[in-house]
Amino acid sequence: MKTAIRFVILLLAGSLLLPLPALATPGPTDQVRETIDKVLDILRDKKLPDGERRTQLSSLIRSRFDFALMSQWTLGQYWRKATDEQQKRFIGLYSDLLEESYLSKIEKYTDEKVAYLSEKVEDGRAEVATQIETASANIPLTYRLSLEGDRWMVFDVVIEEVSLVRNYRSTFGEIARKDGIDGLLKQVAEKVEEQKAARNGKTP
Amino acid sequence: MKQVVSWLALLLVLSTGVNALAQSTDHPFDPGPDPFAEEDEGPQISDPLESFNRGVFWVNDKMYFYLLKPTARVFRVVPQPVRSSVDKAFTNLGFPIRFVNNLLQLKFWNATVEFDRFLINTTIGLGGFFDPASNIPELAPRNEDLGQTLGHYGVGQGFYLVLPLLGPSSLRDGIGLSGDYYFLSAWNYTGLNFIERTGVTAGETVNFLSLDKDTYEQIKKDSLDPYLFIRNAYAQRRQALVDK
Repeated sequence: MKTAIRFVILLLAGSLLLPLPALATPGPTDQVRETIDKVLDILRDKKLPDGERRTQLSSLIRSRFDFALMSQWTLGQYWRKATDEQQKRFIGLYSDLLEESYLSKIEKYTDEKVAYLSEKVEDGRAEVATQIETASANIPLTYRLSLEGDRWMVFDVVIEEVSLVRNYRSTFGEIARKDGIDGLLKQVAEKVEEQKAARNGKTP
Repeated sequence: MKQVVSWLALLLVLSTGVNALAQSTDHPFDPGPDPFAEEDEGPQISDPLESFNRGVFWVNDKMYFYLLKPTARVFRVVPQPVRSSVDKAFTNLGFPIRFVNNLLQLKFWNATVEFDRFLINTTIGLGGFFDPASNIPELAPRNEDLGQTLGHYGVGQGFYLVLPLLGPSSLRDGIGLSGDYYFLSAWNYTGLNFIERTGVTAGETVNFLSLDKDTYEQIKKDSLDPYLFIRNAYAQRRQALVDK
């Protein structure tokens, strides 16, 4: 009996010694690499039915990208002006748009090598610089991440020095200024439909 | 005694349960300050000629789909390694532009690197058709042009400009481009006339497009307004290159 108590107390004390999950979790590069490797594995798996592939990719991407945060930062001043309903709709549509853009980009480079160049960590934010090595050029692609709990979540992708969120913020801002938030929502919805149609047309 | 044990065990279970609960809330963390706040201060590049630029953009778009892209597709009968080599040779010939602009910006180390790259790729790389210099990490290309040199000395973009065939540019970068073209380009000293040089440039572009994986199509597919998308991407990229 005494040994049992001692064991439990030891266990408790042990758990107290590990109060910092951050120390035990893998760094941003490892976490990004894990997701990219899985995405590439799924893309290269030719036996997978298209619908199934899509579902798996989608859940992988959504567990690594913080689309809610990206939405907030993309709308900027218009986020604060939008109603809760508009914010929710925007997150939904924008997630679809980004997922499709990201996947169709990475799909083209399934056979190329991804090199991990460097990692910068500061105050719960990180930048992981990667490079896609193709026949004609090396394409620099940097992931910007935010630490949420013990997960590093992507909030921006920088391709060839061009930040995706910054780019969408400028474009969407101009559209929202002219056509209002509802006008913007309508146009994003149309774009998502267009992408879906294009994808379905492509797969036999 | 048994009670104490089960009580401790319960405590253990509970504490892990509470941890799990704390992590399942929507935003358990403070996302911190908005890293893109400066974007609200206005577009990164002014565009007083927008309607004219959109016109040229439209023409370029048609040229791309009905002339350049089909020609590039025909180019694809040539094996890819050959086209890749041709692309490298063109890049190698751009050496004077990069070298002189590094010097103009007093980036002497980078100028040396470009010089070494040119030397290695022209000799061991058989006239630039191969790029052995890229195997040496210290010899990564140091791309510079006159537009960047002007930017380095504090000259702003002026305003956005879409050039026929050449695509996105600006007042500053357009001036830089013609300076590079008339003074620094190696082709300037080959005795070719304007028409012949345009042919060479067209060949370079089509060869490049044959290697490209539909970047422009992708942009059109992803963005609500490709014109705005490319304008912002151009401004961001050029600024980053100047700041480097």
